[in-house]
This record gives sequence, structure tokens and C-alpha cells, in this order.
Amino acid sequence: MTPSSPLEAYRLPKAPAWHATGDELALFSAAFAVKLPVMLKGPTGCGKTRFIEHMAATLDRPLVTVSCHEDMTASDLVGRYLLGPDGTHWQDGPLTLAVRHGGICYLDEIVEARQDTTVIIHALTDDRRILPLEKKGELVRAHPDFHLVISYNPGYQSVLKDLKESTKQRFCALDFDYPAPEIEAQIVAAEAGISAQTAAILVQIGEKSRNLRGQGLSEGASTRMLIHAGRLMQQGLSVPDACRLAMIMPITDDPDMRAALAAAVDAFC
Amino acid sequence: MAEFRAAHDRLAKAGYGVAVPRSFQQVAPIVATALNTDQALGLAPAASRLAIGTAPRTAAVFLDLAVPMARRLRTPQGFSAWVALILSMIKPAPESIAPLLARAEMLVERLGLDALSAWVQTGLRLGAGDAVKRERFFSLDMAEAQRLLERYAGEDTFQSLEGELRAFHRALWGRMPPLREALPLGRGHAALRASFGAGVVQLPASFSGHRGRERAVYKAALAHIGAHMAYGGPRYRVGQLKPLQIAVVSLIEDARVEYLARREMPGLARLWLPFHTVDPDGMATTPSLFARLARALIDPDFPIKHHWVQKGVTMFRDGMGQIENPALSRHIGNILGNDLGQTRVQFNARNYVVQPAYRDDNLGLWALPPETDAPTQQHQIEITTQDLHKSQLSDAPQQRKQSHPKDQQPDTGAEAVSAAPATPEAGRVVAHVPEYDHVTGSERRDWVTVKAYEPGPGDPLFWRKLEERHGGLLARIGALVRAASVGRARRLKRQGEGETLDLDAAIEAAINLRSGQTPDPRVYEGVSPPERSIAVHLLLDISQSTDDAVFPGGPKVISLLRDASALLAHAMDTLGDPLAITAFASDGREDLRVVPVKRFGDALTPLTGMALSGLSAGYSTRIGAAIRYAGQQLEDVPCHRRLLLVVTDGEPSDIDVPDPDYLAQDAKRAVQSLNARGMDTFCIALGQAAGQRHSEIFSRRGFLQLDRLEALPEKLPALYLRMTR
Repeated sequence: MTPSSPLEAYRLPKAPAWHATGDELALFSAAFAVKLPVMLKGPTGCGKTRFIEHMAATLDRPLVTVSCHEDMTASDLVGRYLLGPDGTHWQDGPLTLAVRHGGICYLDEIVEARQDTTVIIHALTDDRRILPLEKKGELVRAHPDFHLVISYNPGYQSVLKDLKESTKQRFCALDFDYPAPEIEAQIVAAEAGISAQTAAILVQIGEKSRNLRGQGLSEGASTRMLIHAGRLMQQGLSVPDACRLAMIMPITDDPDMRAALAAAVDAFC
Repeated sequence: MAEFRAAHDRLAKAGYGVAVPRSFQQVAPIVATALNTDQALGLAPAASRLAIGTAPRTAAVFLDLAVPMARRLRTPQGFSAWVALILSMIKPAPESIAPLLARAEMLVERLGLDALSAWVQTGLRLGAGDAVKRERFFSLDMAEAQRLLERYAGEDTFQSLEGELRAFHRALWGRMPPLREALPLGRGHAALRASFGAGVVQLPASFSGHRGRERAVYKAALAHIGAHMAYGGPRYRVGQLKPLQIAVVSLIEDARVEYLARREMPGLARLWLPFHTVDPDGMATTPSLFARLARALIDPDFPIKHHWVQKGVTMFRDGMGQIENPALSRHIGNILGNDLGQTRVQFNARNYVVQPAYRDDNLGLWALPPETDAPTQQHQIEITTQDLHKSQLSDAPQQRKQSHPKDQQPDTGAEAVSAAPATPEAGRVVAHVPEYDHVTGSERRDWVTVKAYEPGPGDPLFWRKLEERHGGLLARIGALVRAASVGRARRLKRQGEGETLDLDAAIEAAINLRSGQTPDPRVYEGVSPPERSIAVHLLLDISQSTDDAVFPGGPKVISLLRDASALLAHAMDTLGDPLAITAFASDGREDLRVVPVKRFGDALTPLTGMALSGLSAGYSTRIGAAIRYAGQQLEDVPCHRRLLLVVTDGEPSDIDVPDPDYLAQDAKRAVQSLNARGMDTFCIALGQAAGQRHSEIFSRRGFLQLDRLEALPEKLPALYLRMTR
């Protein structure tokens, strides 16, 4: 990659902190070394995006993140012709940029994208490593440093929105979950800048909320939410206030659930 | 004044006895001063009507009540409304006026006049035509009366709090054992305390004496039971213990589990402490000593003034090293109980009620001798199946040989109603359908007689139990339905006409234009209106083989069918798709037995659940005829797509058909004829035995073989959503 690479803007200046919960760093590095595409699975707010940012910075690669949505078309990823003052010109999409210049392309929540979008990565993810630009009539061979990472939340949507078998089988997968209580407490304490003791209370509350997963809540409070609550406490809020603002209110509108969560918060302070 | 005398004289001469005129004489002047003369005078004709309509004694009671009522109601309007309310009851329910009057002050205080009037109306409707029932209602001798009273009084009851309590318990302890309202112990005796045993938590319908803070007491009670379940050990054996010792051991155990729970969740103390209100002084009766010890063990600031209480607290503190061992409670309780037994305080085990109110009756702590009544058995079975579905119920209730004595609700749940192959009642002939003979290649008209049967007695709590068994699944299906929400408008790209430009298409067209090609004129995008037009007829095979267990000791096939259909019905109801459910079995060509669980027009109600749980397995599988019959029903539904979903667990067979090919060929023909009339048929074949025949009948794309039967409740709605996407 040349210094004037168009991917320069995508380089992370500093690696965000990552608290390893297992050997995920080694596993990912191994997959990156042989450029096998990786799928990150796990519930929302458990650190998938943070992990990939950390890895990209550690491995010193630019990171192109695309948040997939259901109206996303293949040309949103690959690129399209645009009309300029001098006629038409081709504009590379984020995926093509990463493929051409060698970066990590991270497709967040890939299942949200339409199925025709997901198949364009097929040729990239096997040993061909090519990206055909149909409209332009170009075949882009992947830069040796190009690496594809997708994230995937196998939650309730898995029945309706599932990856095709043929897509799934091209990937290695790392399964993420909320970390063990002690580690999660460390993370919350470090990220929010609160005492280990308070963080432990927040984590316990979070665990109680995860008990309600599938029983009125589609997800329990994520690590991210607990960190938010912790940061609010840094601003002087009490535990119940911070939890109400950062956790209970956003997570549900059901009065019964709110009452139960409030009671769980109450039980710890 | 003369008017008063005249009224009094009329009452005296009417022959109602001495009580009525005497009461009038006493009451009328007071009412006249409290309200006005008219109201006072109006009492006389009212009393007269009451005396004639019911009994003179009731009229006298009514008059005596006039003074407190006048004070309570304050305004003349309120008072005349009260009089009118009583008079309005003379005709429909004369026998109930006396019991109502006996409780009138309490009722008016709790309900106010409007709500009282509503409560009375409900009572009249409930007991229409049944004087005994009415009388029991107005004597508050009926659980329903009490419950309605609480509802009209706007007080929180078990029912109004149930959802919140469930979530509360699950959040704190990560599991939710079945939660029930405790049934009255006997005539008029409502359960006073919470209780747990055999894995079922029972809470009283209401906690008397805690009006205004019902929520707090329910939460405290449930948190206490949760502590028992989380920190308690196996049940204590009664052995040689006396009732007094049992009570003390229970008390110590209560304190022990609460201590452990508070160690993890200190905030729980705020829930429990307000209920410990006993004074440190006073008579050293057993209840008082118990309450003091209970308080001393949870409240460090409580002054201890009795040596027995002091001893208990000291022993409890000394035992802190092994606080996690349930044997500690037994050890301490044993000694304390013994000490107390040697003093001369009285202990009446029969009247003993655990204090404070939030604590449970402790019956769940003890392995009492097994009861021999039948409902226990049924209950046992039901719990077992729930456990299969809910592995998180780790406290293995099925191992406990004893069910709760109070728990005698008619559990006609999943398994209890299964084996009743012969329904005595005769079916109603509803249709004749043809049948195809593959040997002659001809269709015999009106060959099979279809008879409709009513489902057996069902379980009114079916939906509730389903929620307990498949709570997670229901929530997931709900989310799926929302995601699939076909009611949501979709964006249509590349349209010939539309509201906005489709940028991609427009740019492409412009590029084509410039490069000299013919552009695609469809450059607009629009929004598709939500469209969904599908009707499903679910046809359940309930032949004899569905009575088998899925695997040894597992749930029966038919109970999986019930759950799966209920879940599907739930999903379809949410989507607003028309659905009918029909169960079928056959007993020869004269008797194709169909049970209409839900017709197309029916709403999804508890009745549907009762009908589903009332299905019983038996007879054979004449599938072709059933398909034809179901097709007839489906044909008239005005929907774009009509789908017949057959769930069966075996090959077609019937007692009067020796040729195995005959029914299969007929079924194939039936499917084809439905196809020809624009209806799709899809079959879910259960078990490994299925397969060959079904692919023949339904074609290879038209059936799905499901080996893991336990997955059916989950698969069916998912499959439906997929198929109709």
C-alpha cells in the first residue's frame, strides 16, 4: 500500500482497549495470517465491533466498516458509476476499496442485508479472492492484505434472516458472549472509570437482566449498557438513577419488565 | 312531625312486628338531621317494600343501617342511591339482601357506592337463576366474590400483579417455577400465606390486612420463596420432631435463607424489614416470641429483651461459619424448640400462622407423609413434562413424592386427559366426501361419512401453561412475526411509476442515454401497500399412535401437537391470518371423526385452548377423506392463497381397508384435487417411519419429515412463517 492510499483515512490512530476473555486474539491473528474470512457472532453490545477495531489497529491495517441494512444493494458495497461534470466516472464502493488497496472490510450485521448483496462476497471468500465489477467490466484481484470480517447476531432473527449455507461455510467463526462476571466487572470499571466494587454491582444487575432474556426482553443489558451506566455514575448519579437512565428505560417499554428490572437494581443497593 | 307519625303508624299497622316501626322511630329523626326530612320519610315506604319483598327482620336491619350509611354517604343523593340499590335487589335477589346488609358498611367503605353498585350487578348476573349461588356471592362465601370485590375496590391482587411478579422473580433468580393463585382451603377459608412445594409456587389471592401495600407484600413473599429455592436444601425429614420444633426449625431456616439472599442482594432487606413490626416487650406468648426471634435475626437494631430470643440469636451467630448448610437450621431449631417446650408457653399447631405475612407456610420445607389423593398424581405428571421443557427447573420437583396438600386444582393439563379413546357421545353428521379407488380407477361419491365431535373437557389454564412451557418460544415467535411483519410496507425499486426517483435506476438510465443505449424507463420507486392474504387449515392427525410417548418417559405426540398448534395459532392470530384447526381420526368409512378445534370465523380465545387440551387420541388415519373435508372448508375462504397443513405421524390406515395402497392413492388423489381447485397442501410427517408414503401422497416438495418430534412446537410456526414469506 502506498502512503497516498485512499485507505489512509480508515487507519485507526490508536488501538482501543480490549480485555481478552479467552484466546480470541491468537485465534483471530491466525485467521488473519492466512486471510481466512472471519465471522464474529454474539449478542449486541458484547464487543464485536470493539474487538475488530482493536485487531485492525494491532495488526496495523485500515478498517473499512459497513453497517448493513435491508435496503443495501450490491452497488452500495461494490461501487457505481456517477455523473460528473465530464461525464460518468466510476466510484469504488467500500468493499472494492478494501479489496483493491488491502484493508480489513468489516460488514456489520450482515444478515440485515439483502441476499443478493451477500452473494457478491462469495468469490472473495474462497481461494479465488476476486471481486468481479460487473458494471465496469473489471475483475479486481484482492490485495494480499485484504481481509473480510462479518458480524452476525444469531438472535431471534435467525429463522427468518439467516445466512445461506453457502455463505456460512466460507467463514471461520468466533463466538462472543458477555464476559464472565469478574472480567466484565474489570471492563466496566476500566471503561467507565468507576471503582471495581461499583462495577461489580452493575455487572450483577446486568446478569439479572439477562435472566429475562426471552422472557419479555429480547436481550439482557449488554456490557455496553453497563459501561454507559457506569459513566453516568461518574457524573454523580446514584446506581438506581444511572441504571434507570442507561438500562431500564432504553431496554423495554413493558411496565412489568421495567418494574422487575427496577426491583433487581433495588436488590443490590 | 305529623308526617313522621303517620309513616310510623303505617308501619306499625302493617303487621311487620314491633322491630320495624321501632327502628324507624329511632332512626328517622337522626337521618332527618344528618341529611334531610325527605330522605328520612322515604325510609318508611322503602322499609315497607323490603318487609314485604324479603322479611320484616331484613327491613329492620336496613333501617338500623340507615344511620351509619347516612353518616358515611353524607349527601342526600348518595343516600337515595343506596336505598335505590337495595330496593332494586328485591325483585332479582330477595334472599341476598340480608347477607349484603350484614356487610354493607365494610363494602361501602372499601368500594364506594358506584363500585358497590357494579359489584352487586356482577353478583346478580353471576348468580342469575341460582338463589344459593347468589346468597354465597353476597355472603362473600365465594372466591369469585372476594376477587371481584378486590378488583372493583381497585386494590392490587394476585391477578393484577402476576405479570410483574413473574418477571421480578425471573430477573432475581433466573428461573420461574409455575406460579399459581392458591385456591381456597375450604369453605370460605382463603389461603393466608404463600406456599411452595412440588416446584409450584402458590400465592394467596390477596393478603388481608395489607391493603394499600399489596405490591410490597407480594414481592416480599415471592423474594422469600426465591431465597428458599436458591439456598434451601433437600426437604427436612420430620422424624421425631414435635410441631413446635418444626415451627422453630422453619423459622430459623427462613432467617438463614434470607441472610444468604441479603448477602448477595442487600437491597432485599428493604423489602422484608417493614413487615417485622413486633415490639421487643410484651407478653411472652409463642407467636410473640416467634415474631421477636424472626425480627431479631433479620434486624440487627432490634433490642432483645427475652432470653430465649437472645439464645436463638447467639446460636445463629455462632453458626455463621456453616451458614450455607441447611442442617444448621435444624440443629438450632431443634434446641430452641426443645427449650421453649420446657417452659409453659402454649403452642397451638392448628391455629399457627407464620409471621410476618410475607413468609410462606413452610410446608415446602418438609417431607410430609405422601397424600393419596388422585389430583396429586395428575399434578405429578404435569410437572414432569414441564421439566423436560424447562431444564432450568433444577430443583427436580418430580423427585419429591409429595405434592402440596392445597394444590388440588383440576389439572387437566397436557397429560391428564389423554387416554380416553371412547367418547360416549355420538357425532353429528356434517358431510359426505368421495373416495378414490385406485383399482377401478373411479371415485365413489359420498363414500365416507364425516361426523363432527365436540372436544373433550379441556383445561381452562391451557394458555397459561403453554406460556410456562414455551415462554421463550412465544416471545421469539412474537419477534419473528413482527420481523416478518408483512403488514409493513415494502420499498419497490425500478418501477414504471412511483412517488420518487429511484436514484440507482435514474443514474443508470442517464448513463445509458449518454452512452447511446436505450435506457430502462423504470426509474421510479414506490412503496408497496401491505398485502397479506393467506388462510390456513391445520389438520391434525390424532389417531391412536399419537398417544405414544415421543421417547420413553417423554411427552406424548398428541401433547406436542397441541402445543405446536397453539403456538401456530398464536402466531397467525398476531398476523391476522385466518386459521382453522381440525383434528381427525377415523373408525371406518362410516365414521370419519373430525373435531373442530377452531373454525375460520372463531376468534382465538381460552376456549380454543380448552378445545386443544381436550383432544384425545384414538382410532385410525383415513387421511384422504380428512383432506377432502378440510378442503371443502378451506375453499370458501376468500384469500389469495389457501394452505392446508397436515400434521400426521403415520401412514394412512383404517380398520376396514386391508389394501395399504388404497388409502395412500386416495390421499394422493385428494391432494391433487385440492391443487386443481387452487389450494396448496403441505404435510409435516412426524417420526422416521414416515417418509416413503408421504412423498408419494404429497409429492417430494410437499412434505417435510421431522425426526426430532420434540422440535415440533418450535418448527411449526417457523415453517409457517417461512412458507408464507
